[in-house]
Order: sequence, then C-alpha cells, then structure tokens
Amino acid sequence: MPPKSQDQADDKRQAAREVIDILQEISDLLNTDLDRTELSLCVSLIENGVNPDALATVIKDLRKETGSKRVGNAPAME
Amino acid sequence: MSNPARNPARGRRLDDALSQLVDGLTPALPISAIQDEDYSDAEEALAAAESRRHHALMERAWRILDTHASTNAPDPGSPAGLGGRRGSLAGTESINNAPDLIKRKLRRENVSPDKAVRFSNLYSRLLTQPVLSQKWGILFLLYKLSASDEPLEGGERSRSPLMDEAHLHNMLGKGGRPRRSTIIDSEDEGPAVSSSASQQHQRVLPVRMERQSSLRHDIDRDGVDQARRSSTEIPATRVDAGVNDRSSDEHVRAASPRPSSANPSTPAKFSGSVEHRLLRDLPFNLQGLSSSNLHFNSPSSLKLPSNLSAPITSLLNTLAEPCLLYKGLSVFVESEEGGLVNQSLRAAIAIELRAYLSLVATLEAEIRQALAAIGDGTEAQGVRKGGVTLKRCVVWTRDATMALRLMSLIVEEAQNKRGGQLISLIHGFSTSHGDPFVCAFAEKLLAHVTRPFYDMLRLWIYDGELSDPYKEFFVADPEFRPKTDPRRLATSVWEDKYKLDNDMLPSIITQEFAKKIFLIGKSLNFIRHGCGDSAWVEAYSKKASKELRYGDTATLEISIDEAYKTTMARLISLMNGKFNLFDHLKALKSYLLLGQGDFIALLMESLATNLDRPANSQYRHTLTAQLEHAIRASNAQYDTPEVLRRLDARMLELSHGEIGWDCFTLEYKIDAPVDVVITPWASTQYLKVFNFLWRIKRVEFALNSTWRRCMTGARGVLGNVEDKVGADWKRARCVIAEMIHFVNQLQYYILFEVIESSWEQLLEAIRRPDCTLDDLIEAHTKYLNSITHKGLLGSASSSRYGASTSTSAKQPEESFLSQLHQILKFMLAYKDAVDGLYSFSVAEFTRRQEINAKIETRSAQSQWGPTERDLLSRHSNTRTGTSMVSTPDVRPDSAGVDGINTPLSLSGPNLAADDNMLASLRVRLREISAEFRSRLTVLLGDLSYQPDVDMRFLGVVMNFNDVYELPKRRKAAGPSARDKEKEKEKEREREKAKRRAAASVAATWSGTESFVQKEVRRERRDTGANDPGFASGT
Repeated sequence: MPPKSQDQADDKRQAAREVIDILQEISDLLNTDLDRTELSLCVSLIENGVNPDALATVIKDLRKETGSKRVGNAPAME
Repeated sequence: MSNPARNPARGRRLDDALSQLVDGLTPALPISAIQDEDYSDAEEALAAAESRRHHALMERAWRILDTHASTNAPDPGSPAGLGGRRGSLAGTESINNAPDLIKRKLRRENVSPDKAVRFSNLYSRLLTQPVLSQKWGILFLLYKLSASDEPLEGGERSRSPLMDEAHLHNMLGKGGRPRRSTIIDSEDEGPAVSSSASQQHQRVLPVRMERQSSLRHDIDRDGVDQARRSSTEIPATRVDAGVNDRSSDEHVRAASPRPSSANPSTPAKFSGSVEHRLLRDLPFNLQGLSSSNLHFNSPSSLKLPSNLSAPITSLLNTLAEPCLLYKGLSVFVESEEGGLVNQSLRAAIAIELRAYLSLVATLEAEIRQALAAIGDGTEAQGVRKGGVTLKRCVVWTRDATMALRLMSLIVEEAQNKRGGQLISLIHGFSTSHGDPFVCAFAEKLLAHVTRPFYDMLRLWIYDGELSDPYKEFFVADPEFRPKTDPRRLATSVWEDKYKLDNDMLPSIITQEFAKKIFLIGKSLNFIRHGCGDSAWVEAYSKKASKELRYGDTATLEISIDEAYKTTMARLISLMNGKFNLFDHLKALKSYLLLGQGDFIALLMESLATNLDRPANSQYRHTLTAQLEHAIRASNAQYDTPEVLRRLDARMLELSHGEIGWDCFTLEYKIDAPVDVVITPWASTQYLKVFNFLWRIKRVEFALNSTWRRCMTGARGVLGNVEDKVGADWKRARCVIAEMIHFVNQLQYYILFEVIESSWEQLLEAIRRPDCTLDDLIEAHTKYLNSITHKGLLGSASSSRYGASTSTSAKQPEESFLSQLHQILKFMLAYKDAVDGLYSFSVAEFTRRQEINAKIETRSAQSQWGPTERDLLSRHSNTRTGTSMVSTPDVRPDSAGVDGINTPLSLSGPNLAADDNMLASLRVRLREISAEFRSRLTVLLGDLSYQPDVDMRFLGVVMNFNDVYELPKRRKAAGPSARDKEKEKEKEREREKAKRRAAASVAATWSGTESFVQKEVRRERRDTGANDPGFASGT
C-alpha cells in the first residue's frame, strides 16, 4: 500500500520535525550555539548509541580547534 | 579509527553523521591557509588540505568517543538498552538527571522563572513524542554544550576572568546582575579559579571534575562574587538607605574587585558544618523566627553567634535584613487600625509577604535537597553539588530584600497619613523614582491600594453618594456647618453640602479633574435629593456604572468626561424643563425689573391714589386686589399661572410717617430647588432694584401727571390767569421738562443699557451647550451684580463682595444712590410746589369767575359794576375783621414791588394773603429748581469720571447739549461750581425780577382800567371805614 506507507512516512517525518523543533528551542534556551543541521546530526548520532558526554566533548574539542583558527583567520576571511 | 566492528551498518551511519558534523563545525579553509604551500592548483590544494584536516579531526573525534566508550560504558554499541548503563558512573547518572540539571541551571542563571517554565513545557512536549528513544541523552548533550558561546566570542581572554577588571566591569555593567553563563573551559581555567578565588570550602577536586566544569565554575563564580560582595557591601545595605543602593554597591564592587580575604586557616570541615547548620536554620530565620544560632533579641535586632569567621558574619548580616524587615512588616499586616486605604495597603503588603514566604519555601526545599545530598555535611563536595550556599541564599533573597525594604519604607511613612495622602505617597514612588524596580513595585502596590479609593470614586460619580466612613475621599461632608452670616440665613444645598478637600486629593488625579469629579457627584446628589429625581439617577448609575481601576488613565478620563456631560446636561434640562428656571428668570425681569411696561403702568395708576395715603392705612387685600386688576388688564394675563401665582404685593416693614409709596413692594416667590440659582441674596437684590426702579417710576408718573395737568390746564384755567402767573408757569414747565428728561434718561439707561444688555449676556451664558449649574449660578450672580452696580446701586453689589471692592470705589457709588434719592426727592417736592401753584391758579381763576359773574348780574340789573361794598362784603365773608383792617395799608406797596400789576389787583386786600402765598410758592419753586440743578451738576460731574463706560455714557446722554456746565475737577471745583451756579441762578432771578418790575410799570401806565381801579380802591380806603353803608346807599 504505497499511499499508506507514504502517509506513515509523512507522519514520521512530521513527528521528527516536531521533535527537532522542540529540541531546537531548548538548545536556544541553553545557548548551545548549534544550528538545526548540527542538532539533527547530533540527535541521529545519539540515537545510534553514541555517548552524549563523549559527543559533547568532541563538539567542544572541534569548536576549540576550529574556533581558535577561525578567530585567528578572521580578518583574512571573506 | 576503530569503528564498532559488530555492527558495520550502524558504524557507517555513525561515521557519516559524524563526518557531516565535523564538516558543519569546521569552516571552509581560507585560501590564505595554503598560500605558503606552493601548489599550482589552488582548488585542488584546498581540497587536499581540507580532506587532510577533516581526516585528522575525524580521527580525533573517534578517539575521544572511544575513550569514553571504554571508560564509561562497557557497551557503547548498545546504549539504547537500559542494561547498557548498568555500570555507568557519575556521567550516566547525570544523563538521567539532565532535565533537572537544565532546570536548575536555568533557574540559577535567570532572574525570572519564565525560562525554566518554558523549558518545563518544552520538556513535557518532548516526552509525548514517540520518535526519540534517547531523549535524556540529547538533553544532556545540550546541557553540556549550553552556554559555551561566551568563550568563543570572547577570543582573547585573560586566563582568570576574575582578575580581568575590565571584563568584570563590563559584565557587571551590562545589566545590574552579572550573567553567570560565562563558562570557562575546564582545562584552561580550573586551576586558575581555584587558586584565585576565596574558596572557603576547601575542596578536593575530583578526578573527573572536568566533565562538570561548567556547573562547577558556575558555583565558584557565584561564590566568589558573593563573598566579595558581602564583604564590601555591608556598610551600604541599610534599611533606611532607601532603595538606590543597588547602584552604589555595584560601584563598590567594581571599585574593589579584589577577592575577599579568605581565611585559609579555617578548617574546611568546620566552616562547612557551621554553614550547614546556618543553612538549615535559615528558612526559619527568614520567617522571623529565632533559631539556635540566630536569635531575635527584640523585634528590631538579631543576635549573631560570635564565633564565626568574618565572611560568614558579613553574609549573615546581609541575610539578617530580610529577616528583620519581614518581622516588622508582619506586625504591621496584623495590626487593625486605619481607614480603608490603609487596610488595602495592608492587604497588598500581605500579598507581597506571601510571595516572599513562597520564595522562602522554595529556598527551604533547595536547602533540604542540598543537605540531604550532602548527608551529614562532612563531604565538602556535596555542598557544591547541592548548589546551595549562604552566598547563594543572599543572591536569591536579594530582590525580595529590596521589596521588603521598600515596603517597610512605605509603612513607616504612611504612619500618619490616610486616604488620598497615602495614595499620593505611593504614587510618588512610582512616578518620581529613578529605579525601575521601585517604580514597578510601587505600581503593583498602587493597583491594590487604590481599590477602595476607586470604589468610592465610582459610587460618587455614578450614584452621587459619598460613602467614606474614614474620611479618606477628597470630597468631604462638613459635619459642622460654619456659622453663616445671620443676614443670609439660608445655606445653599448646592454650595455648602459638600466641600472639596484638597489635602485628600491623591496625586493620581489632577486638580482640574478633581473639580470635575466633585461637580459630577454634587450634581447627582442634587438631582436626587434637591430635585427629587432619584429614579433617573438610579437608571443612570445602572446603565453607566463601570469598574474603575488604577492604571488605565485614558479609560478613566473618558468615562469621567462622559459622566460629567450626561450629568450636567440632565441637571440643566431639569432646571429648564421641570423647574422652569428660565421662566422664573424672565418673570423676575419683566415684573421686578419693570420689563412688563403696561403692567407696571396700570399697577401704578390704579395704586396711585391708594399709595398717597400714609403707610399704616395700606391694606394687603386692597393691594392684592389692585395687583390682580393690573394683571388681568394687562398683557401679564397671558403669562403662565405658575408664574403669576408667585407674584405678590405687600408692604415693607412700616416705619412711622411714611406714605404708601415708600413701603410698597412687589415680590416674586422662589422655592426649592430653583433657589439654588436665585438665592435669597439674589431675591433681596431683585427687591432692591425693584424699589429703586419703582421710585423712579413713581417720580416719572408724578411728573407726567403734573405735566399733563398743566398742558390741559393751559387751554382752560391757566390761560385765564396767564396774566398773573403765566411767567411762573412757564418757568415751572421748563423745570418739569428738565426733570422729565432726567428721569427718562435715567430709566432708559437702567432698563436698556443695563438690564437688557446684562440679560443678553445671561442668556448667552445659559444657552451655551456645556453650561453647568455652577456656570448658571455664576452667570446669574454676574447679571445681578452688573445691574446693581451699573444701575447706580453700587453699594448693594459691594455688600456681598465687600472685600473685593476697595472702599474708595465704594464711596462714590454709595453717594450715587443717595444723590439719586435726593434728586428724586427734590423732584417730588417740586411737583408738590407746582401742584400748589396749580391750585393757586385755580383758586385765582374761580375768584375771577365769581367776580365776572357778579358783574354780569349787576349789569343785567343795570346797576354799576362791582362796588366797594361787594368787595367788602365778600371780604368780610372770608376774613376776620381785625386782620382785614391792618393789611390793606401795607399790601398795596408790597404788591407793587412784587409785581401786582395785573388788572385784578383791585381785589387788593383780600388778595394780599394769596399774594403772600404766591410769593412763598415762587421762592420755593425757585429754590427747589436751583437745588435740583446743582445736585444734577454734581452727579453729572461724578458720572463723567466713572471708570465704567456705560455710566459715563449716562452722563453724556443727560447732558448731550452741554446745558449743564460741569466742573472741571470733581473734588476741588465741585462746591465752588455749585456756589457759582447758585449765584448765577440768583443773578438770573434778580434780573428777571427787574425785568418783571419794568414790565409791570409799563403795564400800569398803559392800562387805564387798572388805574381807575386803583383810584377806586384808594377812595374806598378813605371812606369805607367810616361809612360801611356807602356802597349799598349808592
């Protein structure tokens, strides 16, 4: 039944979008500085079993890494 | 790079996601990054560099993840199952608590709870979503990542933010309350913080503390901040220091960013346990109860234990403030006395205190939770985990303390105030205080406090009732009526029933507005009680009444304006429609101010004979009968019976020897509620004007009748005696014409220039659409004043406003009235004299008729004309013998001088008495006319110096052809001019006399008949005495 599965898929997507919406709001409340894509990536990672603590460390690590570069190169960019 | 081998599919998905994430987080490499490397193809180089970097980052990420996987969770591949967490340590525990952690964090970092509330909502929504299985994990991730923005944008920061004054200052300056979201990366900052801050609670850094760095730093920062603040702030926090010390201690803080002197020697355990004990007791202390450590000595002092370290003591000092304030306020709340506004203030404060207590309750819950987490308080780590310290309590109670402080300030100042004053006091805080917190708080209080006030206001402007048991409203009902002037007995319902009390006027209502409100209520009250129209008032209040509240001033203004308009329109329409105010005013004008000419003329004519008699022979029934007659016969009969019913004629209080004219008065009866406008004062004014006008009218009437008589007489009676009194009559006519001119001008002036023009103004004022009863009363008073003032009755108008008019202005006005009365009196006297002259002329005429008749009969009998004997016999008939004998000798000489030059002077002896009378009449006429003239001149002189244009105009009208020579300067030249006038008059008289004498001589010589008669008379004088029968003999 393609239409039904289509519907189900739609429902699912709808639900997922809602969840992401909620999470996005929470993340804004907490000033996490994650955009929507990043947030959904994180969600999928955690859903797949990655330790959130570790993931947080990774993100911070990455930010620090690139952040210092970003700051350093800021004048040269654009 | 060690993907979980058991599940390659999932591993690959993980890998993809992670690499995407890495891409997302790493920015594109700038060209500059590869400038130094000498690649020919920049793009290729870039791609290569990026892929290299990506690779490196990926590797690093995986390594970190792996470390976690190995240490934290034995089975990271299947974390979905609960079993996967069996062995997890603090990290997993935190994951389970993630929502709580977030909530707490939000509550801690934000002043208002709304963010936490929002989070709770979102969280509950999230729970209903079936899609995710790892909700907590995600939340924990977010929590971990939360607020990691500051360091990123901070860029170059000093290693210890606390040492960085500029940064600190900036932070503090941003918004009175430092955001503690500044998170320091644990690797860099942890040691710096612990070394720089005053860590009273010495703690052993846990091995894995880095993981909780954000939380911990938060606490640390808090603690440091608090410690410093409390050490520097104490002198500034005084209850009576008002409410602006927030800025001042910020200043203090910014100025001395040095960490408070920690006492490093204090054993951690001791300090910790003391603090725990204090913390446990704190909720009770905050409710104003004594505890084992803190004891309330008296309602206003709190005893601190002496064996504490300085920082804790200072913290407790700060915390003691809300305790004491609360105690004081709760006493106030429980007290009873005071008016409605005081009670509402008490209620408002009680509400605030309840909010404060709920804060204390939350605080207590936090403290309990924290203490439970700590256990017996030996584990210092627990304190920070629980997150409750004395310092934090200080922060949490900070706003509450401000509110308490403000409230106790208000309570203190409100001690001797009530009602409007109290509202003004709080309103003063809300409008003229710079601190937005104070303003907002006072506004909040005002909303409660003004409720009873607005209830009263509502009752007042919609029902016209004053319900103010404690005298708090700004409209007062004066209990003791001030003793009014006994001369003005009636106190006006309108004027005196309510008073506006400016002391009680709250500053939320402007003066002008208050007047409006006052007028509305007063009018409603008057409509209800004075006009007996309570049905309308009730219907109106049912229809229009709406709730008034503090805050929406615009609505309030609109509703009050509406109420004002409706009420005033109703009142005016009642006055005009139901109570015929306008008709009454008109009737007063036409009857008392002589507007109805035919009626007045008729009344005067019919009453004239009656009124000439003495006052004590006047009877009321005759007067009313004449009045009735005058009404029936004139146009007044078409007036409404409502008006005519009120018209009455009566005598004023009799005083001996007066004639009816002086006492007669018309009266117009006014009853409630019209007497609000036409007050008793106004009625007496009307009476005064009427009496004055009546007098003028009477003089005019008298002069007119005299004039008529001499005009009609000139054709008959007077024509016959022209030769004897013709000149006198001529002069009298001149003077009477002068007088009539004067009276006419005076009447014209008063009736037209004064009354009519004032009436126009009154009409204009009354017909204005937004006219109120007050305007009406004022217009009417002005109308009367202008009439009495301009109508030369100035003294009357100054009786009420004596204070306002200066005595110098009053003096001439009073003299005007008396001058006018004098002049009128002279006119009447002159009229009497002229009447005397007339009767003399008539007597003369009849005598001549008689003589002529006798001559006729004699000639008919063919006898001689009238003989000596006839004259004598007639003489003896009228006079007594002795006087008759003596007079004849004297008379002829005097008669010659006096101008007895008429042919009839042959009747000599018996005419001598008449001549005497004539002479005295002449003198009298002359004197009166001279006096009249001089008085008039003085009056005109005074008038020409009047400030009022209309009064000057009267002078001009009377003297339009400059027949009267006015003195140049009133005061100095007045008497001399008068003398001169008199002298002139005398001179003129003398001249006239001379002329007359000359004329008489001429007449003597020319008239032979008179000569013969004279001869006859002389002959008779010689013989008549001896021979009485001579005439009859011949």
